[in-house]
Amino acid sequence: MKKHIIPIILLGYFGLLFLLLIGLETYWYLYEKPQSQPIAFSHQIHVLKMTLPCDLCHMYATKSISAGIPSVSKCMDCHRAIATDKPEIKKILKYWQNRKPIPWVRIHSLPDFVYFSHKRHLKMGIDCSECHGDVKAMATIRKVRSLKMGWCITCHKSRSAPTDCLTCHK
Amino acid sequence: MHRRDFLKIMGVASSSTLMTSCDLEKQSEKLIPYLLPPEEEIIPGQSIYYNTTCTECPACCGVSVKDREKVYNNMRGRYPVKLEGIPGHPVNDGTLCIRGQASLTRLYHPDRIKKPKLRDSKGNFIDIDWSNAYSQILDALRESNNGGYKNIYLSGRTTGSLSDLIDDFCKRTGIERAAEFEVYSHSAIKEANGILFSKREIPLYQIDKADYLLTIGADILETFISPVSNAVRLSHAKRKSDFKWFHIEPHVSLTGFQACEKFTINPGTEVYLLDFLLKNMLNMKLYKKRLPEEVVKYIPDFSQEEVSSKTGLKLASLYQIADQFKKAKMPLLIAGGISTRHSYGLETAVLTGLIQWITGMTDSVIDFSRAENYSGVGTMVQMEKLSNRLSNNEIGVIFIARTDPSKSIPVSYFFKENIKKAKLRIGLSDLLTGTIKECDIILPLSHTFESWGDANPRSGLKTLIQPALEPLFKTLSEGDILLHLLKGDLKDLPFRNFQEYLFKKWNENYGKALTEEFLKKGYYEESVPKKEIRLDNKSAVAFLKNIKTLDRIAKPVLVVTPSIRSFDGRSSVLPLLNEIPDPLTTISYGQWVSVPPKTAKSLMLSDGDEVEISAPGLSARLPVKVQPGLPEDTFAIHPEMLSTQVFQADKRSGEGVCYLDKIKIIKTGASVSIPVLSGSMSQKGRGIVPNPVNKKREYDRGWNNMYPEHKHKDYRWAMAVDLELCIACSACVAACYIENNVPVVGKRHHLMGLEMSWLRVEPFFNGHGKCNFVLMLCQHCDYAPCEPVCPVFASYHNPEGLNIQLYNRCVGTRYCSNNCPYKVRRFNWFDSQWPEPLDRMLNPDISVRTKGVMEKCTFCVQRIREAHDTAKDESRKIRDQEVVTACAQTCPTNAIVFGNILDKKSQVYKLAHSERVYRIFEPLGTEPSVYYLRKKGDKNES
Repeated sequence: MKKHIIPIILLGYFGLLFLLLIGLETYWYLYEKPQSQPIAFSHQIHVLKMTLPCDLCHMYATKSISAGIPSVSKCMDCHRAIATDKPEIKKILKYWQNRKPIPWVRIHSLPDFVYFSHKRHLKMGIDCSECHGDVKAMATIRKVRSLKMGWCITCHKSRSAPTDCLTCHK
Repeated sequence: MHRRDFLKIMGVASSSTLMTSCDLEKQSEKLIPYLLPPEEEIIPGQSIYYNTTCTECPACCGVSVKDREKVYNNMRGRYPVKLEGIPGHPVNDGTLCIRGQASLTRLYHPDRIKKPKLRDSKGNFIDIDWSNAYSQILDALRESNNGGYKNIYLSGRTTGSLSDLIDDFCKRTGIERAAEFEVYSHSAIKEANGILFSKREIPLYQIDKADYLLTIGADILETFISPVSNAVRLSHAKRKSDFKWFHIEPHVSLTGFQACEKFTINPGTEVYLLDFLLKNMLNMKLYKKRLPEEVVKYIPDFSQEEVSSKTGLKLASLYQIADQFKKAKMPLLIAGGISTRHSYGLETAVLTGLIQWITGMTDSVIDFSRAENYSGVGTMVQMEKLSNRLSNNEIGVIFIARTDPSKSIPVSYFFKENIKKAKLRIGLSDLLTGTIKECDIILPLSHTFESWGDANPRSGLKTLIQPALEPLFKTLSEGDILLHLLKGDLKDLPFRNFQEYLFKKWNENYGKALTEEFLKKGYYEESVPKKEIRLDNKSAVAFLKNIKTLDRIAKPVLVVTPSIRSFDGRSSVLPLLNEIPDPLTTISYGQWVSVPPKTAKSLMLSDGDEVEISAPGLSARLPVKVQPGLPEDTFAIHPEMLSTQVFQADKRSGEGVCYLDKIKIIKTGASVSIPVLSGSMSQKGRGIVPNPVNKKREYDRGWNNMYPEHKHKDYRWAMAVDLELCIACSACVAACYIENNVPVVGKRHHLMGLEMSWLRVEPFFNGHGKCNFVLMLCQHCDYAPCEPVCPVFASYHNPEGLNIQLYNRCVGTRYCSNNCPYKVRRFNWFDSQWPEPLDRMLNPDISVRTKGVMEKCTFCVQRIREAHDTAKDESRKIRDQEVVTACAQTCPTNAIVFGNILDKKSQVYKLAHSERVYRIFEPLGTEPSVYYLRKKGDKNES
C-alpha cells in the first residue's frame, strides 16, 4: 500500500488540476469568449486609427439613459464610399439593401431590474473606459468589467455616490 | 437500505440537481439598431408624447400618448405605455377617467381582429387580404344597386372629417347613411330643447359656474355626456365655499353618493317633482324671465300632497330642494340619464327646460352656443325603422361601423334576426362583438392611436387624432378603407390616403400656421357667437296641453343603470376594466343584480344567491349582490349583464326605456360565487373615516422604537387625498395598473381572494343612506410595521421617506403583508401573464415582478427618479408638483396631491396642515405619509 501512495497522490493532484483546467476552459468558452458578431466590426480601426470620438456613433450617451447604437444608415453614411470592396463592409450594404437592422450581439448588458443612466455617469465626469475598458484597443468588443452589483457599489462608495437601493433598482 | 447504497443514491441525486441548475445555454441578447435614425427631437430611452383623442366613449377627451422605444421581432419601434390627459384641454384638462386609462388595453387587446375576414360557405371566418375584401364589397354594391336594393351605412357617433368622408362616400356609391346609433343618445333632452327653444341640441352644462347644482337622474360623473369634463367642472365648483349639490334618482349611483344630499324618487315620477319646483318658483316669483300666461295656464296642476305621495319624497325634502333655488345666485338644474329614459322622459326634459329658461340658466350656465355635437345621432325609433326595412328585404349591403346595436335595442325589433336578411353585411370593428359576428365580411379597424383623424365633440372645438405607433396588425383606419373603396370607382382621387385627405382639409380650413398649432396642441378651439335662447310659446303650449295623468312605473322594477366601467356595455370587453372592481359593489368579474337590503331580507337573499328575474320578454338568472342604499323593490343591473339593455322605446323622443316594471324575482336556491373584493361594506367602528376628526394629533404609541429615527435631508414624499373632492371614479386605479405593470390576474384568482391592485377604492356604507369612499394605498408609514418583520431587509425605509419593497431581496415570507394594518401588500403567487401583444404595454421604467415576491405602491418611484434626473441636470432641487404620481395625474377632480412635505410652500404641506386632515389608524402610531382630508360638513359616525 505504502509504495502506491506517491503515484496516487500525484495522479490525484494532476487529475484535479486537469479537471480544474477543463472547468475553466468551459467557463471561458461559454461566458468570456468574445462573441462573434454578425459583422466583424473593429473599434480599433474606428477609434484608434480613424480617431473617431465615441459619441459620433453612440450619440445619445450624454443625453439619455442608453448610449444608443448607430443606425444602419449611419454606417452607410461613411461606407457608401469608404472601403466598399471589403467583404465585411459588403455585409452592411446587404443589410441596408434588405432594409434589415444588423442583429449585433449585446456584450454589455444589465438585468431588467437595474436602472442605469449613461447620461448621469458621463455628467459626473466618468470616462467610458471605466466600465467598458480600453475599447479603442479592441478588435472585437468584449466585456472587461463584471458589471455586477458588488463592482458598482465599490465604485459608488469610493466616489460617495448614493447607495440607496432605489438609486439603481427599479 | 445499506449505508453505502444510500450514499450512492444521494451522490447521484445531488450531482444531477447541481447539473440541472447550471444553465449552460447562454442567451445571446441582441442589440438591434435603428435602420434610419429617429427624428432629432426623439431621444431613445426617453418618453415621447403624442397628442391625440380618446375614443373609448363619445366624449372625445384630449389624450397624450406616452411612447417608449422597444424592440420586438428584431425591429426597433415605439409603443404607447401610458395615457395621460392633455393639460389645458377644454374637455378634460389633463385628466382621464377609468375607461380612458384602460383604453390602452383595447389597443393591445389580444383578441383584436388582425386581418380582414370573410365568412365561407360553412359559416366560418377565413382570413383574406384587403384587395380581395375590397373587390368583394364593390361587386356586392354593384349587384345590389342593379337589383334595386338600398344600401345602408350604420355607424356609432362620428364627428369631424371622418363624418364628412362617410357622407361623401355614401353619396358617390349610392349608399344611404343611417342615423348614427348610440344607446345614450340623450334624445329626450334634444327633443325637449327642440320643442321649447327650436334647438334640437344638447347644450354644454357649465357646472363650474354654478353655486347650486340640482341633478335629476343625470349620472354626471359616470356616463352623462362628458363625465370627465363634468368632474373637472364639479371640482372647480366644489372649491367654492357656498356650493351645494343635491341629487335625485330612483336607484343608487356613484354620482348620487357624491352629492351633498341625495334623495330617492319613485321611478318615472320626476315630472311631479319638476312641476312642483316650477310652480313653486312661479309662486315665489323666483324667476328672471316671465313665463307667458298661456304657457303657465297649461302647466299641470298637482297638489303638493299628490306630488309627495307620487314621488315618495317627503314635503320637507321637497321644500328643501326648492328653497335652495331661493338662496342660490347661480343655480343649475340638469335632468337626464336614467330620469329621461322612461316613457315620461320627454315630459321630464320639457319641464326641466322650462325651469332652466325662467331662471335664466339658459343665458348663463347652460351654453347652447357650444352645444355637444350629437346632430348625427339617431334614436331608437329610427333603429326600429331600419330593422323593419331589413325585415322587408329592402336592404342589399349594410355597413356596420364601430357600433354594436344588437344588445342595445329592444328585443322586439328582432334586429339580430333581421340583419341576416341583408344581402351582404360588412362589419368595421376592432373586436368581434355581438353584431359584428353576424357579418359576412369583417374589416379590421386600426385603433385611434394607430390612425389619423379629427373629432368635433362640440361646437367650436376640434380635436386631433394622430397615430402614436405603426399599426400592430394588418388593419386600416375607417377613412383609409373608404378611400380605398372609392378608388375602385374613382381613379383620379387627389389623395393617396386619409392622412393626405385630412392635411389638405386642415390646410384649407385653418391655413398652415393654425394647422401646425393644431398638430402640436392636439386641439383647436375657436370662439363661437353667443346664441340667444327664445321660448317657442306655441310649441310649448301644444306639448303641455297633452300631458296627461301619469301612470307610475310599478314596483318591483328592474333598472338598467349605466356603468362607470363599461359605459353602455362597450368597454366591458377590456380585461383591465373587469379586473378593477365596480366602485359601489366592489365586484370585479362576472354578472350580478343589485338587490335592496329590505327586499333581500324579505326574500331571504344574501350575496351570491341566484335569482330568476322574469318579466314579459325577459328571463335571466343572476347572482345577487345586496346593495345598501337601494330603495325597496328596485333592482339595478349594468347594461352588459342582460341580453338587452333597452326594453322598449319612447315613440315621441326616441329614447330607449331602461326600466322594466312588474318583474318577478324568484330565488332559485342555487348559489354563484361572485368576486366581492371588499372585506366589509361597513367600517364596523374602525374609524377609517373618523368623524369628528380626532383633534388629538399626538398619540402614545405604547411602544418604543428600537431603530434609529429616520432622517430626511431634502425630501420626504407625502400624499394628500381630499375625500371632499374624490368622486371614487377609480380612474386612479386604472392609471396605477398601467403605470406600474400591475398584472391582471382574472376571476379565478379574485374568487380565491388574490388581487394585485396597488390602489383600491373602498366603499363604506353607514346605514344613513350615505357612503364614504376611501382610497387605500401603501401609506408609506414612518414607523412601518412591515419593515422590522422582514428577515432579509427587503422592506426598508429610504432617506426620502419612502417605504420600499426590494424585489431582488424578497424571499416571499409574507410576514410584511401579515403585519400591515392597511392590507396593501400584494404577493405574486404566480408569474404574471402578458399575452401578446399586451407585453408591449409594459412600462420599461419599472420591473415586472416575478413569482414569489411581494409588491406594493411605490409612490411612483420611477417618476421621482426622473424628476431627480432633470433637477440634477439643472443643478437645482425638485420643484413642487414636478413629481406627479400616476394616480394624482389622472384624477379628474385633483383630489390627490403628491409632493415633498419638507417644503413648507408645497401643496401637500398645506393640505397636511388643513383642519380636515386625519390619517388612517393614527392611534397605531405608524405615522403614515398619506394624509386624508375628511368631507366638509360630514357629521356621520364612523
